[in-house]
Parts: sequence; C-alpha cells; structure tokens
Amino acid sequence: MADILGVVFRRFAPGSGTTDLVFPSGVEGNTLVLGDVNIRRSVLFLSAVTAATDLGLKVLFFTQTPFQSLPVSLRASVPGLKLESLKNVKFVYVKTLEELVEDVASLHELASDVASPPSLIIVDGLERYLQGPLQDDPGPVAHVAALLHDTAAFLTQIQQSRADGQGLCRVMLSFQSECEGSRDSEVPDLLLSVLDRYLQVRCTFEEIAGQNEWQVYLSDTCPSSAHQGQQWHMGQQAGGVLEFRPVIGEGQQILDQRDKSKQGNESC
Amino acid sequence: MDSSLLSVAEQLLKDLQRTYSETNKVPDDLLIALRFVFGPCALQALDLVDQRSVTSVSSPSSRKAFQVLGGSGRLYTCFTSCHYCPCPAFTFSVLRRNESLMCKHLLAACLSQAMGLCQQEQVSDQQMTHILSGQTEAST
Ligand SMILES: [Zn+2]
Repeated sequence: MADILGVVFRRFAPGSGTTDLVFPSGVEGNTLVLGDVNIRRSVLFLSAVTAATDLGLKVLFFTQTPFQSLPVSLRASVPGLKLESLKNVKFVYVKTLEELVEDVASLHELASDVASPPSLIIVDGLERYLQGPLQDDPGPVAHVAALLHDTAAFLTQIQQSRADGQGLCRVMLSFQSECEGSRDSEVPDLLLSVLDRYLQVRCTFEEIAGQNEWQVYLSDTCPSSAHQGQQWHMGQQAGGVLEFRPVIGEGQQILDQRDKSKQGNESC
Repeated sequence: MDSSLLSVAEQLLKDLQRTYSETNKVPDDLLIALRFVFGPCALQALDLVDQRSVTSVSSPSSRKAFQVLGGSGRLYTCFTSCHYCPCPAFTFSVLRRNESLMCKHLLAACLSQAMGLCQQEQVSDQQMTHILSGQTEAST
C-alpha cells in the first residue's frame, strides 16, 4: 500500500521518527478521505504539514473556509515543527465548484516556470461544493475528480522530465456522503463509486462512539489491485495530539470498502 | 466496472495500433471484437474516427487533451490520463448504470490515437485552461 496517508500514520505512530519517511512512488495513489467534517479536516491538515515539513514538498490546499484556528494542536503533534517550512503549504479559498474547477484547470500554466510545482493537491470537503441539484448528479463530480487526476498526472510528468527525474504529484480529496435526511440512499453510493474511478485509495474514519477514538480503514479501490488494506486506530489525546497505531491481526486484511460503506448507509 | 473487460479493451486497442500501423486497415475480426467489447458505440466511434472528429490539443505548457466533435456539432473535452466525457451518455451508461466502459466520444479518442488519426491543434495556455474547465464545449 503506497500512499501519502500511510506515511502520515507511520509518522504519528508511537516510537517512530521522521528518518525513514519517503514519498511513496507507486504510479497511482490518489486518495479519497471519508469521515466526519472535523476529523477529516484535521487529517488533511496533518497530511499537508507532514508533506511540507518532513518530506519538503509543495502542497496546495483547496478549502471553502479559512482555518480559524489550527485544527489539531500542531505544536503538540509535531514538536520540532519549523514554521518556515509551512510556507510550502499554499491555502486557496474557493467558494464554488466553478472556481475550484477553474483553479485546478489553470495549474498547468505556471508548472513550467516555478522551481517546484505542487506535489500534493488537497481538496477539503468536496460535498460543500455540490449543493442543490448537483447533489445527485454524477457528471460534475466526475469532471472535477477526473480533472484532478489528469492534473496530478501532468504535474508528475513535469517533475519527472526535470533534471533529477524525481518527484510526483498526488491528490487527496475529502468527501462526506450525506446519510441523514437523504432523499435517496443510493445517491451517496453513486457519488462514491464515481470518486472511486479516479481516486485509487480510500481512507475511511469511523468514530468509536464517545471515546475520541476512530477506526481507520485504508484500502485500494483500484479493481486490478489485490484488495488488500490496512487498519489503523486513531486516538486524540489531551491537547489535541493525534496518534495512530496499526491494528495487527485478523483485522489487517479488511473487507472490500464498498461493502463497508453499504453497511454504513443501512445503519443511518 | 469489470476489470477483466477493461484489460481486454486495452489489449484490443494495442492490437489495433499494431495492425493499423502495418496495414492501414481494421481487419474484420478486430471489428467484431470491438463491437463485442464496446457494444453499439463501437461503430459510432469508428464513424467519428472516419470523419476525423478527434483533435489532440496541446498548449505551450505541454498539457494535452482531446476534443471530440459530436454528431450534433458540440465539442466534448476528454482527458488523456483517465476516462471522462461530459456527454449525457457517459453520465448515464458509464457513471450511473456502470454498463459501458466508454461513450462513443471517448472510444473515438482512444481509436484515433491508436490509429494515428487525431487532428493536431496548438492553443494558448489560457485557452487550454478554458478547455480543461469545460467552458468551451457549448461554443461551437
Ligand atoms: Zn461522450
């Protein structure tokens, strides 16, 4: 399993350091993050910080609303954090789906000029851009996901054509399918299946009721892969520090995430 | 999506590329296979190829995309790295029903590329941005 979240989880597991961290180089590793709003925003932020500081990568972070405060206690989670390395993260505030699409579509214009184009493109809360009739229309979702996929493929190509031939670009997108009060329970499944076409890794956060703890499922949704996944346990300590532990044993190889999301919908 | 069907489709396109570059023809057995895998849109896509409806656009940034001129005169933008088309058939039978691999425009783009029959067009970087964001599709 090669993806950016695997790196983040290992980075924040007890007893691990930053020494052996490398950006995974598998060909396809765009990630879909599913979970409730607050926790997945924290995880996206932690990923941005890890990529920018530990891996030294340029990060683009698209979100609808500015962060009022740091979503996790950054200093506590990352004690050695250097503030200047956070300059590698560029936050872009976009209000509408059209703005998001246009901004992503224009990224190629600067790619050949800048010293290092972005290596991680994060989109926080895609569902917030899908209001009204867009909620059950798979077309616009497919367009933005395919555009992100194509942009990451292009930026990867640009970076690999440069002198060192290193580097690639990945996409991380978070999405919450509306369960409660949904008119049609098949709609979220439809949008998820569309997102799965373009994002090969799915990460699901399931809260363990009232404990500030989450089960984290990391799986490959690419049909040609072996459907193997990883399970992690995430806890939020006092002060907001997020800590990850791998779940070893029977849960290691988890079920197909599509079944998982169906079960989730039935219980809503 | 059935992944084994997808790999059959990929193999077919490779066979087409090889055969067409050697003989400039699409042999009957390959036609039958295309119809079997892609259904009725195979013939419609081959019509689009015949009419040179597929243009490979590129810009100075070296970004590329396909533009496919549909029967109605509308231009559809397809990406080079993944399967997407803004037409209603793609939304309905590929995304919603999951019963086809591609629409005729996407298949025409794949076939034209395999057969070396894409028109080539250079656009500015800004025009490419408009094309990628789907703002040019209604304009023809
Ligand atoms: Zn189409």
